[in-house]
Amino acid sequence: MTALLWNLFYVLIFPGLFFCILMGILLSGLDRIWVARMQRRVGPPLLQGWYDFLKCCGKETIVPRHAKKAVYFAAPVVGFAALITIALFLPVVGGKPAFSGTADLVVILYLLTLVSVCMIVGAAASGSPFAGVGLSREMVAMISYELPFVLVILAISKVTLTADSGLPMTFSLQAIWDYQTVNGPLIAHWSLIPAAIALLFVIPCEVGMHPFDIAEAETEICEGTLSEYSGPPLAVFRLTHMVKMYIMTALFYVLFLGGISTGIVAVDVVIFILVCVLLTFITMSLPHAACARFKVEQVFQFYWTFVAGLALISLILVWLGL
Amino acid sequence: MMIVNFIGSFALIVLGLYCMVAKHNLVKVIIGMGLVDYGANLLIVSVGFHAGGTAPIFTIAELTRASFFVDPVPQALTLTSIVIGACTTAMSLSLVMMLRKQYGTLDTREIRRLNG
Amino acid sequence: MNSFLQNFPILAIMTLFVGAFVTSLVGRRNAVARNVVVAISVTGALAMMLALIKPVLLDGQIVAYWLGGWTPVEGWAIGISLEVDALSLFFGLIVTVAVFVSGIYSFTYMNHDDSLVNYYTLFLMLSGSVLGLVLSGDLFNIFVMIEIMTFTAVALTAFRTSYEGALEGALKYLVVGSLGSTSVLLGIAMIYSQLHTLNLAQIAALIPGQGGNLVTIAAFAFLFMGFGTKAFLFPFHPLAADAHAVAPASISLMISGVLTKCGVYGIIRLVYVLYQNINTPFVSYLVTGFGAVSMFVCVTMAFNQHNFKRLLAFHSISQVGYVITVVGLGSALGLSAGLYHAMNHTIFKGLLFLTAGAVQHQTGSLDLDSLGGLSKKMPKTTLLFLIGAASISGLPPFNGFASKWLIYQAAFLKGVYDGNFFYIMVAVVALITSVLTLASFVKVSQSVFFGQLPEQYREVREVPLAMRLPMWVLAVLCVVTGLFPNFVQTYLLTPAVSAVANLTAYIDSAMGAGYAAAHGIYVSGLTEVPITGVWNPVSWLLLLFCVTCGVAIVALLASPNDNSKLHISSKDETAEERDDKYESFFSGEEALYSQVGGSDLFWGFKHSWRKYFSFMHDWHSGIVNDYTLYGVVAIALVLLVCVIVL
Repeated sequence: MTALLWNLFYVLIFPGLFFCILMGILLSGLDRIWVARMQRRVGPPLLQGWYDFLKCCGKETIVPRHAKKAVYFAAPVVGFAALITIALFLPVVGGKPAFSGTADLVVILYLLTLVSVCMIVGAAASGSPFAGVGLSREMVAMISYELPFVLVILAISKVTLTADSGLPMTFSLQAIWDYQTVNGPLIAHWSLIPAAIALLFVIPCEVGMHPFDIAEAETEICEGTLSEYSGPPLAVFRLTHMVKMYIMTALFYVLFLGGISTGIVAVDVVIFILVCVLLTFITMSLPHAACARFKVEQVFQFYWTFVAGLALISLILVWLGL
Repeated sequence: MMIVNFIGSFALIVLGLYCMVAKHNLVKVIIGMGLVDYGANLLIVSVGFHAGGTAPIFTIAELTRASFFVDPVPQALTLTSIVIGACTTAMSLSLVMMLRKQYGTLDTREIRRLNG
Repeated sequence: MNSFLQNFPILAIMTLFVGAFVTSLVGRRNAVARNVVVAISVTGALAMMLALIKPVLLDGQIVAYWLGGWTPVEGWAIGISLEVDALSLFFGLIVTVAVFVSGIYSFTYMNHDDSLVNYYTLFLMLSGSVLGLVLSGDLFNIFVMIEIMTFTAVALTAFRTSYEGALEGALKYLVVGSLGSTSVLLGIAMIYSQLHTLNLAQIAALIPGQGGNLVTIAAFAFLFMGFGTKAFLFPFHPLAADAHAVAPASISLMISGVLTKCGVYGIIRLVYVLYQNINTPFVSYLVTGFGAVSMFVCVTMAFNQHNFKRLLAFHSISQVGYVITVVGLGSALGLSAGLYHAMNHTIFKGLLFLTAGAVQHQTGSLDLDSLGGLSKKMPKTTLLFLIGAASISGLPPFNGFASKWLIYQAAFLKGVYDGNFFYIMVAVVALITSVLTLASFVKVSQSVFFGQLPEQYREVREVPLAMRLPMWVLAVLCVVTGLFPNFVQTYLLTPAVSAVANLTAYIDSAMGAGYAAAHGIYVSGLTEVPITGVWNPVSWLLLLFCVTCGVAIVALLASPNDNSKLHISSKDETAEERDDKYESFFSGEEALYSQVGGSDLFWGFKHSWRKYFSFMHDWHSGIVNDYTLYGVVAIALVLLVCVIVL
């Protein structure tokens, strides 16, 4: 019974639903404030994301005539829930995921894909031509960042696998964390630095932040994938976007800065949150303020040449045992 | 002695392949298929040949350790293969007939609606 | 094993062949009798394969059946044999399940066509030949079955003679496919010339003694390319695309789900059993290389397609490429990943072809550029399609993900343990292919099922239950095999892999005990690689369910109990009642029909690769001479390289 309650606590409160939403809102609020400050604006309050969510929830939902209703409503919820499950597999505190033995790094890669697919299918089901263009762009963005992402994952796995003498747990996040506990964070492993930079580039595109938000370009294609969404479904999509900021930064933390533990849970959590905030600033706010939106083919070329090149260099260096 | 057969079968196969690759008339392509088939058959039947062997037709009583005959298995294989080859040729020619009716040509360069 | 079960392999094959014969006798006038015969045949074959599960898969026995009682004499196998080990039965099960589903589907699907008796006769012959191929213990029998299979498949491809391109596709399949058959025949002739036997078990026992004999190595190259043709590996893939696209959907299922598996089966038998001693790095490179190239080229080719089934055909080869890739790794993990994916591919690709057939049956079109919005009219088909698409794209928790996940592990671990960068890049290609597959199916779902409904398809209706039922069978299999990978592993994959590893048993059960030991065959070179990742679909699904419930509860508590805020257009509104607020947003203008789909999607991606795509488009010229040339060149190159290296 206690175990069941604990599991419910993990799923619903920490590190599950509640904590994810909280972090998502916090990170997106900070991001908006920073971008505003860099553009010499005041910016919204910190909890603006939450207010937006509430407001959306209170609005009417108009289901367009061309929409396939069941899919139109199911897509945001399934996508959001799948995203939350990722948080349960990340060993963010004390090096233990809330649920071990369920998923590894490849599964997480695919769960992230599943989240994007839910958005795509939802957009497709809304039947709008703008959503059609938007989903095509979302898919191209996905193809773009997938290659560097995969290369980064393989490079990390190679490092942790060769070091492990026992039964190899290649793609297990737990193994990656344990490796870092013994050998120090992977970011200190110099041959993985290009991979870390590549992953930093992957984060904004995966989240769909400004210079890479080709799928939701407001000015060109009227919010693209979301153009026919309104009311609570839209609110859930918005929330998914915010929580993704948290999940991606947490993933970076686990992959490259993991293994640091002071032994006190509260301190660990604070460090973790600070890292997430810092990563949000570096990977999302700075490019957001500095760059104009890229074109679709620019995104693709950028990721498949420059970013994938960085990750490949890392993989080769790791391969050579450096 | 069998070397002539092997060279012959090789030549037949190469000629057949040349036909299939270079000729743009569908009937010629199918003749090429036939040639390749004959080459393969010739190869199999030559494989089972033993110089000086008799035909492999015996009753159980006649069969002794000393009887020397050509290997019957490749001949059986060749027969099977010839039958299959004949079926294939018949089938492809009937397809060619119908293609001719539909497309009005036998030129492979014009029978390419399925491409890309 | 009781002697009764011993007869099941031959009975299963004969059921189908005799069924074909009886169909043509009774089916000419009486359609009901015809359908009954077909149903009995396919069900009977399936039942007999299922009955063999217990002794062969679970108890690990091997059924060796000698036709006419011609057992080996003095260590020479002259008679024709059927030899069913766990690997054969694994493929036999795949074949019979696919045949069963395809047969049941045909009853309704083909009801617009005439001369159906020919269709069913050919269909049962095709089924019998593929079953005969995987159960055969005799190399020449395999050749005969390949020929019957090709012959009937070609005839069935051209069955709808009036359908655009049907004859053309069939002829190309026949001409280029004959290259593969000839290649197999030459390989057999060469093996026979050296070993004087055609029995698989005996060949497996004798080949190691041949050492570096050039003729047997040439035979390896010929047989590999021959089976490769039957699996439609690169560069034979254009055939598959042409044949699939024009064949009836139930036959496309057979071609992609069953015929390609015969090629895969042949390659596994060839590499692991017949030539177990040349399991060198070179063979691994060769097989994996062919698989990886097929996998990647075909998935990119799918981006160019405008025809639903032609697109599926390219994906079919791409997925078979996955299978061949991991089969070539030469590790137990790789082989079980390959077998798993082979099975899954039959299931999900069968499902996708059947949904394509359903769309074609109801709308009469397969054109991705003109279809759209069918989810409103065919909701159940849409759901089935989404399950299939999620499976093939490898989304958790469907079966495609479970097998692809094993594939990545197998390739990556092979690379790490062998210290070989090639296999790491293979893993990268496999992962990228997966996302490109996803992109392709996003294109199909947007172009066919979502978006706006064109005017001419207003009256389209859902397919009848008789057609949905086979699809549901496959869809349920998709979910079940995805949710319980451990179950599949224990009861299907592990027996099949250990059957491959346990050569001695395979040889001895055909040739008599001690035969393998006398020829120095003990174990195969299959290396055990421990499985290393963690993936527990059921647990994940439970978590997903919990989170969804949590979200739902919060949403219910938070949302005001006010239904007036949900606006859905009523189904039967008249033209005057049409409320503009339900129209799609159209930049403030009056909404027009506007469907974004087909070739318009992914231009950002296609633009960046335009040179590659236009090259590939020209390369797949559609001229039969060109395809033959690619095939001949490939066979010649493989022959040359094999002879030089081995």
